[in-house]
Amino acid sequence: MSSALIFAAGILFLAGVLGLKSRANSGALWRKIVNWLLYALWFGITMMGVSFIYINASVGHVKATSTAVFVFLGASVVLALILARVLGFLSGKKPVGAGTD
Amino acid sequence: MSDNEKKISRRAFLRAGTAAAALGVIGAAQMPGQAAAAATENMTFQASPTGQWSKLHPRHDYGSALVRFVENDDRWLGTSELLSPPQNTSEADMGFNQANRGLLGELPQKGVRNFIPKHPFGGAISFARTLIAPETVVDGEPSPEKFSIPDPEQMSQHIKDAAYFLRADEVGIGKMPPYAYYSHKVKQGADWTKPLEENIYEFTERLPYVIVVMVDQHLETMLASTGYDGISGSQSMRSYHATGNIAVILAKYIRTLGYRARAHHSANYGAPLPPLMIAAGLGELSRTGDCVIHPRLGFRHKLAAVTTDLPLAPDKPIDFGLIDFCRVCKKCADNCPNQSISFDREPVEYNGYLRWNSDFKKCTIFRTTNEEGSSCGRCMKVCPWNSKEDSWFHKAGTWIGSRGEASANLLKSIDDMFGYGTEEIPKYKWWLEWPDNYKVESAATASGGSIYNK
Repeated sequence: MSSALIFAAGILFLAGVLGLKSRANSGALWRKIVNWLLYALWFGITMMGVSFIYINASVGHVKATSTAVFVFLGASVVLALILARVLGFLSGKKPVGAGTD
Repeated sequence: MSDNEKKISRRAFLRAGTAAAALGVIGAAQMPGQAAAAATENMTFQASPTGQWSKLHPRHDYGSALVRFVENDDRWLGTSELLSPPQNTSEADMGFNQANRGLLGELPQKGVRNFIPKHPFGGAISFARTLIAPETVVDGEPSPEKFSIPDPEQMSQHIKDAAYFLRADEVGIGKMPPYAYYSHKVKQGADWTKPLEENIYEFTERLPYVIVVMVDQHLETMLASTGYDGISGSQSMRSYHATGNIAVILAKYIRTLGYRARAHHSANYGAPLPPLMIAAGLGELSRTGDCVIHPRLGFRHKLAAVTTDLPLAPDKPIDFGLIDFCRVCKKCADNCPNQSISFDREPVEYNGYLRWNSDFKKCTIFRTTNEEGSSCGRCMKVCPWNSKEDSWFHKAGTWIGSRGEASANLLKSIDDMFGYGTEEIPKYKWWLEWPDNYKVESAATASGGSIYNK
């Protein structure tokens, strides 16, 4: 089961990279770096949260599961919103040079 | 072939001899395993690389804690500082014997007779444990002829593998601290209505090495238990019984090989085991005062030991930052149902060494008179070192916890935030409870006789 989940996480990470490539690679170099670092951070936090919640729920740690839902998924949503804003999903405008790949 | 052709000059002979010797030395240095194998050929023994823990467990599994090796000498036993030579103690003064002798009051004296068997499952395991209690089982004369054995390093690996084969969760070998032996032992079937002197005898064994085996008290059961309900005593007995059998078998095996060996287990100790566990590199002394924490199993374990003169290569005691951790955590003290565990910041002197001086009398009184269950292991249940399953985040936690006071504080806060240790997970509660049988009076009349020193 854990092998399948790790494989699924790898596929999702790759899918995210391909999906965001056009927007994340736009602009100055520092901006590209910030975009990808933010994406990696968001993905890492989210997957850590999923793993933490899955293991704690399967063992039966009720408080740990509910606290982790709040802490990890809360952080994941906040980071996702920041990422979406930085990549232009929320402003309604594509950054300069986006979609040229 | 002529005579001249057969002859070899002296110079050539010396050259060839020197080269052969050099090759031999280099070969032996680079391949100690093969060299040792040659020495023990008649045993068809394949030596393993020097420095390895054992063949079945090439590396000791300390979990994720940062471990360094420390000393066992006249100033330190691991991370426990010796201020003056500790005195050998009498078994008659240990908690349960004080209860047996009536020194802790009338109720503990009644309770100690049946605080384990009042739960039928605990009683059943304890019964099996007492079958291996007699002196003739734990000790005996070694065979008059010694078997050939490998060198101490290889023999130590072999003994560890034998323990793992017998289902020990961990095993270590230490230099036996002579001060750790009991000065006096309590006679089997002691009658405490008679004077103390008639119930004890001088314990004179002094052997150089100790093999310590450890068996887990079962994670899921602990996760479901309060720590002082009906199964608590059975958890102890499970590991006492298992380690006792392993120790008895190892001791008999060693005696058969022609060396002295005595098993020490919960139904027949010749020494209290915490210092032996420290000497064997299996842990550090915790805030509880007498429980030794292993970096992976915490103190969710029980021990037995074998003292022996079999030539062995002892392991070194370990330091994984537990003193710093216990100094700030205090979770066991917060959760002790009888407030037996010290809140002091620093360890204090006790019998010549430094430890947190918890009140073992209060602890014994609670365990023998607990009417909510059988015995108590609440401190074990809540300790952040052993209250959870194997996972990446718990490994990260113990890695953090072994890095000093600030990080220990962080680990303890995270542990509390997620509710580890203090929860009960009902899906694992597999045992039956008979609360009506937990009253001291009813339990004491249910079956007579102390479970100790039978």
